[in-house]
Amino acid sequence: MQDTEQTEFDAVSLGIMWDRLVSLTDEIVSTLVRSSFSTIVSESYDLSCVVLDADANTIAQGAFSVPAFIGSAPVTAAHMLKRFPAETLEPGDVIITNDPWLGTGHLFDITMMRPVFRKGKIVAYTISITHLPDIGGTGFGSSATEIFQEGLRLPILKLYEAGKLNDLVVEIIRTNVRVPEQTMGDVMANVACSEVGAREINAFMDEYGLDDLTALSAAIRGQSERQMRAKLAELKDGRYTNKIQVEGFDGPVDFAVQIDVMGDSIEVDFEGTSGCVRAGVNVPFCYTNAMVLHAIKSLTLPNIPNNQGSVAPIKVTAPVGCILNAQSPFPTGGRHAMGHFVTPLVYGALAESAADEVQADSGMMNLITFQGRRKDGRAFSSLYFASGGYGALKGLDGWSTMPHPSNMAVVPVEIWETMTNTTIVEKRLRPDSGGAGEWRGGLGQEVVLRNDTDEILMMLGMGNRTEFPAQGISGGGEGTLREHQLNNEAVHAKGRIEVAPGEEVRLLEAGGAGYGNPQQRDHDAIAVDVANGLVSAEAAKRDYGWAG
Amino acid sequence: MLRIGVDIGGTFTDFALHDAEGSRIAIHKQLTTPSDPSLAVIEGVQVLASNNGIAIGDVAEIVHGTTLVTNAVIERRGAKTGMLGTVGFTDIMDMGFERRYDLFDLRVIYAQPLVPRAQRLEVAERMRFDGSVETSLDEAAVRKAAIGFAEQGIEAIAVCFLHSYANAAHEIRAAEILRAELPDVFVSTSAEVFPNMREFERWTTTCVNAFTGPMFDTYLDRLESGLGAVGFGGRLYIMSSSGGMLTTATARRFPVRALESGPAAGALMSANHGQALQLDNLLSFDMGGTTAKGALVVDAEPIKHYEMEVARGYQFRRGSGLAIRIPVIDMIEIGAGGGSIAEVDERGLLKVGPRSAGAMPGPACYSQGGTRPTLTDANLLLGLLDGDFFLGGAMQLDKAAAEKAISEGVAGPLGVDTMRAAYGIHDIVSEDIARAFRIHASERAFDYRSASMVAFGGSGPLHAMAVARKLKIPKVVFPVAAGVMSALGLLVSPLAFEVARSRRIHLADVSANDFETTFAALEAEATAILDEAGVARSDMRIVRRLDMRYQGQGHEIEVVLPDGPSAGPLFEGVQELFGATYQSIYTLRLDEPAEIVNWKLEAIGPAVGLGESYRLGDVSDTAVAQKGTRQAYHPVERKLSAWPVYDRYALRPGMEIQGPALIEERESTCVVGPDDHVVVDDRYNLIANLNLAT
Repeated sequence: MQDTEQTEFDAVSLGIMWDRLVSLTDEIVSTLVRSSFSTIVSESYDLSCVVLDADANTIAQGAFSVPAFIGSAPVTAAHMLKRFPAETLEPGDVIITNDPWLGTGHLFDITMMRPVFRKGKIVAYTISITHLPDIGGTGFGSSATEIFQEGLRLPILKLYEAGKLNDLVVEIIRTNVRVPEQTMGDVMANVACSEVGAREINAFMDEYGLDDLTALSAAIRGQSERQMRAKLAELKDGRYTNKIQVEGFDGPVDFAVQIDVMGDSIEVDFEGTSGCVRAGVNVPFCYTNAMVLHAIKSLTLPNIPNNQGSVAPIKVTAPVGCILNAQSPFPTGGRHAMGHFVTPLVYGALAESAADEVQADSGMMNLITFQGRRKDGRAFSSLYFASGGYGALKGLDGWSTMPHPSNMAVVPVEIWETMTNTTIVEKRLRPDSGGAGEWRGGLGQEVVLRNDTDEILMMLGMGNRTEFPAQGISGGGEGTLREHQLNNEAVHAKGRIEVAPGEEVRLLEAGGAGYGNPQQRDHDAIAVDVANGLVSAEAAKRDYGWAG
Repeated sequence: MLRIGVDIGGTFTDFALHDAEGSRIAIHKQLTTPSDPSLAVIEGVQVLASNNGIAIGDVAEIVHGTTLVTNAVIERRGAKTGMLGTVGFTDIMDMGFERRYDLFDLRVIYAQPLVPRAQRLEVAERMRFDGSVETSLDEAAVRKAAIGFAEQGIEAIAVCFLHSYANAAHEIRAAEILRAELPDVFVSTSAEVFPNMREFERWTTTCVNAFTGPMFDTYLDRLESGLGAVGFGGRLYIMSSSGGMLTTATARRFPVRALESGPAAGALMSANHGQALQLDNLLSFDMGGTTAKGALVVDAEPIKHYEMEVARGYQFRRGSGLAIRIPVIDMIEIGAGGGSIAEVDERGLLKVGPRSAGAMPGPACYSQGGTRPTLTDANLLLGLLDGDFFLGGAMQLDKAAAEKAISEGVAGPLGVDTMRAAYGIHDIVSEDIARAFRIHASERAFDYRSASMVAFGGSGPLHAMAVARKLKIPKVVFPVAAGVMSALGLLVSPLAFEVARSRRIHLADVSANDFETTFAALEAEATAILDEAGVARSDMRIVRRLDMRYQGQGHEIEVVLPDGPSAGPLFEGVQELFGATYQSIYTLRLDEPAEIVNWKLEAIGPAVGLGESYRLGDVSDTAVAQKGTRQAYHPVERKLSAWPVYDRYALRPGMEIQGPALIEERESTCVVGPDDHVVVDDRYNLIANLNLAT
């Protein structure tokens, strides 16, 4: 029983077709996840799948993909179509790049685009993006001083030309990476999912009797844009600014933002932000843009599907050459370590105009690459992930060990030890690390890891919040700082640390900040926190005036 | 032989009696008694027996499915539970996956751990990943912990140590000490509950097991003594989440295995129908008042997996509940049912659910104070439901109230007419269900296009044809006695127990001997459970499965080994079997070394089944098939037209009905689209064939 009328989309049929497009994008995602080698793809969904119309406008994005990929697809598509104009494309063409400035901000992400043909004509494009297991160079970390050290950089090129694989490209990739089978396996997983995408888009168009997606795309984007504009119009007009400091390598880095809320649109600029640093934490603009869009979306319409319409009323700019608009050859491998601070920067600026929605700062996540050799002689290069506390919201305590703004998933202790033969000695919450407040910040954690292998273990850090704690909102307290230690001595959280056999690394993860005046906190909530040891009796007395 | 299936649901407790000699099935429904669910069971068994002129003493088996365990977790009505863990790790229960289930909604809500931090105690001990002992168990500390638990009034304890799947010795010893020190406390160890890698999920499962243990034990005591008091002397079995029966002794040890056993039985009955009708691949579709549930059936077996979530913190969102690892029929649950509320979403467009008006106040047309438009209101307005024959006439529905709710709640704000909005609500629900099936099938490489559907539940038959059309499924079965599907499903379930163990190893490092030994240990464990139930070894079927992947991949695929008396001789075929299975899912093979991650073995007793032919007692022989006509919404013409209405109980084998048609039974209505065609088969099932050309 389906509608026969296709000439216009009323509020019912538009919703149904829109959901159907998002769902077919989710099918593309599930194909990609199922066949990926990379645990960062399969467990942490460090990926994105997008469907674009024939004019390369984003219509639908898979529901589960990390925020870093919002808004990057149409920009990458435009670059690709400039290099290979649409009229020259053939069925079976597959275009790729991992250039940070054309794609998503670091070499690890490969962006792959395939034109979708129907009756000899391009009706859509699919784009998929995944974080590869390896791309050569220094490995995933922030230790490089130039992009050239960070690995293989592929310009926009055709991996497949009319269905024929370019063997030379495959050889180049294989030659440059540490784990060629896994890396190529993940590249091919992208190819497989784009085939599914092309099939599903055609099936969708058959089902609804569509010859092209132009009108539907316009309706979806138009509706998204109208809703976003209506929501933005509810914010109080004005210029909002914020300035924070983030630790760099040779002293703090300044982040500054000016946000102009004007009727139903927003302009965000980062004038006043410091320049780039000679470490792999510089942020190409695409990533800055994505983090702004994510922050504003989470405060306004968190559930509206991503497409070009929903972000149209938001204009983002950053001075060329500042650390949030980094230029080659500055290295960008750990761009998230800096880029994630865009979110608290924006929330802080909008704390006044969206007081009920903003979140106090989070302790943020910590990603560390460990490279070593297992006892059976097999080498490994594995990402360890541990999260700090989540910032409190009005009416909601911050969750302990919950990442924000990006999202990952913990590697279980039992899997980590099996995979690396290192030992996690303990993994526990850090009491009193959550910022005080009417709603308390989430707790960070303490993880101790011992090198029980027979060889040196290399630890490549990208840790943040070691100097500047998570800031509270409306009188809420700060979260505790992050710290990395080797044998109980503090070491640089963004350093390249050698861990000898028998030595111990301690990761102290940052707490989230509180929201609102701690004196207003519910008495029972304090009592529960004390009973469960999340807040010590002394801290309860000091921060909340609690007398038991 | 007389057997009875009993399924306790939220509103009704359903009964099905199978008389093997008479090839007869009788059913009965009774209101659930929430304060003590065993009361309805005992009373219902008596009513069923007397209605059918049988003596309870002649009943050989009662098979019982229940959501009692699930509800205890959702409502937190379990024992005061403690956890004994490896020093340094019990906070993992608060840390969870360290992942947000929603990337954009800042206000994520999670189910709190069942055991609060203050009730978790730690002892020194440590196993390595390879099962070797790094630090031996501090037994004095265990005794001290026992004192601590006693002081807190702890009634159940989950013993949760790291790497216990590789070596359970410390957990076993700690449990021994705790049982000796605290004889009245229910003690459960993580390696016995489900010895799989991934501590957070294994420990959560163990905590659920401990939390529900004392409650389930008390319940089974009451049930056994109550049934005994009315003359029952046969065997009582409990349905598990994976579709096999458990003895009450096993169910007492592993109450967590009885989570969601009712829905599992429904899926099992779908599979049984599929087998009888020779339909290889099926979608089992069950839809009620608040949720819709689906399962995929391949070659007459529902697809199983090993993870589920209970007590979701936020509106059916995956990732917001407690993560459980047990063998379970792989079900999707969608927040779509008769009570689902229609509203305008963030996009400014129509959406339905997952919010539900529930039973109170219920849909606007129930006239119980509900004013929000629901799916049932839409289906009433569309003429798909009869306001005078709802639940067989037990409840009168108010069409004007439905119309007002839809008009004011969604049609007005969206600028469409009321009938368009009503059809939109109906259609969106069908679309949402189709979408959930599509994603579920695609994640499991199941080709739904060539499959058939079995539809049941109060709302299932209303939407089945629409969902099937969206999925291009050509055939839908509306089984007889669909209102008690789960109770019937209990009667087709075999005694079975599955054990699984994590042991990650490269295939190249395994020998045939090693392979044999690992499976032999699992076999001893699984068959012991069936031995206790009195199943002869010669009647058991042993199914061995492996979770395998190419070295370095994040996800495993399941490889089912061929049957054989022992595992050793099967080893040499594993490499090829894995390659072939991988290729069937991903269309390619890789030139990479393979590894085994999990080893699984299931011992299955003989299936009793319902036999080849049976008929339902309550088919009336006098009623006229077509009751009349009703004005119902024609989706293509987009207006109301007269649809013939049939009485399901008057339909006879061989009869054919050309759509559009509404076929009514007490609990539901089958909606047959304008171009579709229905035949009644020998067992009184309705077999609908869709005309997919239109």
